[in-house]
Amino acid sequence: MIEHQTTSPPAIELDGLSVSLGGRPILTDLRASLKGRAIGLLGPNGAGKTTLLRTMLGFYRPFIGDVNVLGLSLRGEAKQLRANVGYMPENDAFVAGMTAIHFVRLMAELSGLPPEPALERSHEALFYVGLGEARYRKVGTFSTGMKQMVKLAQALVHGPTLLMLDEPTNGLDPPARKRMLDLIRDIRDRGETHLLVSSHLLRDVESVCDEVIILKQGLIAATCDLEAERRANRSFVEIELQSPEPAFAEALTELGCELAVQDTTRLKLVMPGDRSVRDLYTAAERLGVGIRHLDIKRDSLQDIFLRAMEVNHGSV
Amino acid sequence: MAVYERTWKPYSGPLTPVRSRFLVVTRYAIADAFASRLFTAFYAICFLPSLVGLFFIYLSHNVTLLEKLGMPMDLMNALTSQFFMVLFGWQALPAFLVALIVSPSLISADLANGALPLYLGRPIDRPDYVLGKAAVLAILLSPMTWVMGLTIFGLQAYLEGGSWWIDNYRIALAYLVGHLTWIVVISMLTLAISAWVRFKPAARGALFGIIFILAGFGTAVNGVTRTSWGDLFNLVRSINSVVLSLFGAPTPSGLPVVFNWLTLITVTLLSIGLLNRKLRAHEVIT
Repeated sequence: MIEHQTTSPPAIELDGLSVSLGGRPILTDLRASLKGRAIGLLGPNGAGKTTLLRTMLGFYRPFIGDVNVLGLSLRGEAKQLRANVGYMPENDAFVAGMTAIHFVRLMAELSGLPPEPALERSHEALFYVGLGEARYRKVGTFSTGMKQMVKLAQALVHGPTLLMLDEPTNGLDPPARKRMLDLIRDIRDRGETHLLVSSHLLRDVESVCDEVIILKQGLIAATCDLEAERRANRSFVEIELQSPEPAFAEALTELGCELAVQDTTRLKLVMPGDRSVRDLYTAAERLGVGIRHLDIKRDSLQDIFLRAMEVNHGSV
Repeated sequence: MAVYERTWKPYSGPLTPVRSRFLVVTRYAIADAFASRLFTAFYAICFLPSLVGLFFIYLSHNVTLLEKLGMPMDLMNALTSQFFMVLFGWQALPAFLVALIVSPSLISADLANGALPLYLGRPIDRPDYVLGKAAVLAILLSPMTWVMGLTIFGLQAYLEGGSWWIDNYRIALAYLVGHLTWIVVISMLTLAISAWVRFKPAARGALFGIIFILAGFGTAVNGVTRTSWGDLFNLVRSINSVVLSLFGAPTPSGLPVVFNWLTLITVTLLSIGLLNRKLRAHEVIT
C-alpha cells in the first residue's frame, strides 16, 4: 500500500516549519518527508495537530520554514496548493440554510468546477458518502453523523490529490464510525488521493494509515512507517519481575530487544522478529530471575505512540 | 459515472478562472436572496421611483399627452437639477432598504456554523470572499440606482437633444459617483455588521443604531460647539453633502465637502478593518 516512489515528490514535506500564535510557539522546527498514501497525524490534545493542518491550508502563516504538499510550496503557491486539497474540519462547518446538494455544489464551484460538473459531482459525492436520499434536506437539520458525511462529501467533491481529515470519526456512533473508516479506506485503496488523517484515536489511524507522524508539544515525537512495522513483525512484551534485576535488562538488550520502559520490576520491551518468548525465559533461567507476569502482543500503534510520548523526539 | 454506482473519482475536467472565482460566492448569495418571493416583489417595487422618473421625462416631452392631461407645457422647466436631486434621494432610499434586508445574512450565515474555513480552505482568499459578498450588494443596488439614473439622464438628453447632456454632465457624474459611493459605504458597513452581529434583527438594528446614534452625537456636538462640525458624524448628511456637491449645489452644513468625503472614507476603512479582524478561518487568541 505504501508508496515509496523516488520520482514523485513526497505527499507532505515539512521543511523546518515553525508556527507561533499570539507570540507563543505552537509548532517548532518540524522536519519530515512523508510519502505514505494515508498518513496519520497523531498526538495528545494540544500537540499541534490541528495547527499543522491549518498551517498547511495557509490559515496560519509559518514563522519560519515551509510546507510542501505534493511539490507545491505554501509560500508562493498557497492557492494552487489549496486547489489540490480537500479539507474536512473537526468542528461543525456548514451553511445551515442550504440543502446538502446546494452546499456541496457551492464548495465544488469554489474549487473551480464549472456549475454543471459541480452539480453532477455533488450528487455523486453525496451518494458516495451515503447521503443520496437526504441530499435535498437542509444541512442544519442533519444529525451529527450526517454532518460529518457532508463534510467529507464537500472535501472530496472536487477530486483533491490530498484529503485532510481532522478527527473524521468525531462524535460518530459505532456504525457511522465504521462507515466513515470504510470510506477512508476505500478512498485510500483507489490510489489516486493521498490522505492526511488527524486523530487522537489510535485504532482509527492504525486501521487506515500506512505512515504516522506523532506530535508532542509542537515537536515531532516520532515518524513511523506502519507498513514497515507490520512487515518487521516485531512484538511488544511487558514483563513483571519478582524482584529488581538490572542484569536481566542487560541480557535482554544483548538479545536485541529494545527497552522502552524500565523501572524496578516492570519492563516494557520491543522484541525483534527473529526472537521468541522462549529466548526471554532462557535468559531469565540463566540469571535466576523470577518472572511474575509476561504479556506479549504484536507491536501496535499504541505502543509506538506511548514510546514516542516517553522519548523526546526522533524516529521510532 | 452514474450516482447509482455509489462511487467516486478524481476530477480532470476544465476549471473556471481563479480571478473570477469570487463571483461564485456572489451568485449563490443572490440566488439565496431571490429565493424569497417577498424579497423579489419588494426588489421590483424598488424600481418604482425610477420608473416614475422615466414616465415624468416622457410626459414632459409629450405635448399631446400634456394637453390631454391639462398640464402646463412648461413642465420641461421642472427638469432641472432639482428634479434629478430629488430622484436621487428616492433611488437611494430603497437601495438602503435592500441592503438592510440582504446584508445581515451575507456573512453571518457562514460564520454561524463555521463554514468560513471551508471557503478559505479553497483557492479563494479573504479579499476574494469579501469582494464576492460586496459584489452581491453592488449587483443588487446598481440597477435601481446609478444604472436607472443614467438611463433617465440618457432619455432626457435624447429627448431634449442639442447640447443638453454637455450642459448638464454634472447630473450624470453625480448619479454615477454619488450612487457608487453610497453603495460602497453601505456595503462595507453592512458587511462589517453582518460579520460581527449574527442575529439578523440585531444586525438591522445595529445599522440603524450606528446611523442614528452617530447623527444624534453629531447634533449634540453641533449644539455644544455651536458649529456644523458635528455633521461629520452624520453619515446620511455626509453622503447628502457629497452628492449635493457633485450636483454643484451648496452643502447644507457649509463645511468643505472634503471633510464629508473623509467621513465616508473613514467609515469604509473602519468597516474593512472590522471585516479583516473578524473574517479569519480560525480565531487566534493573542
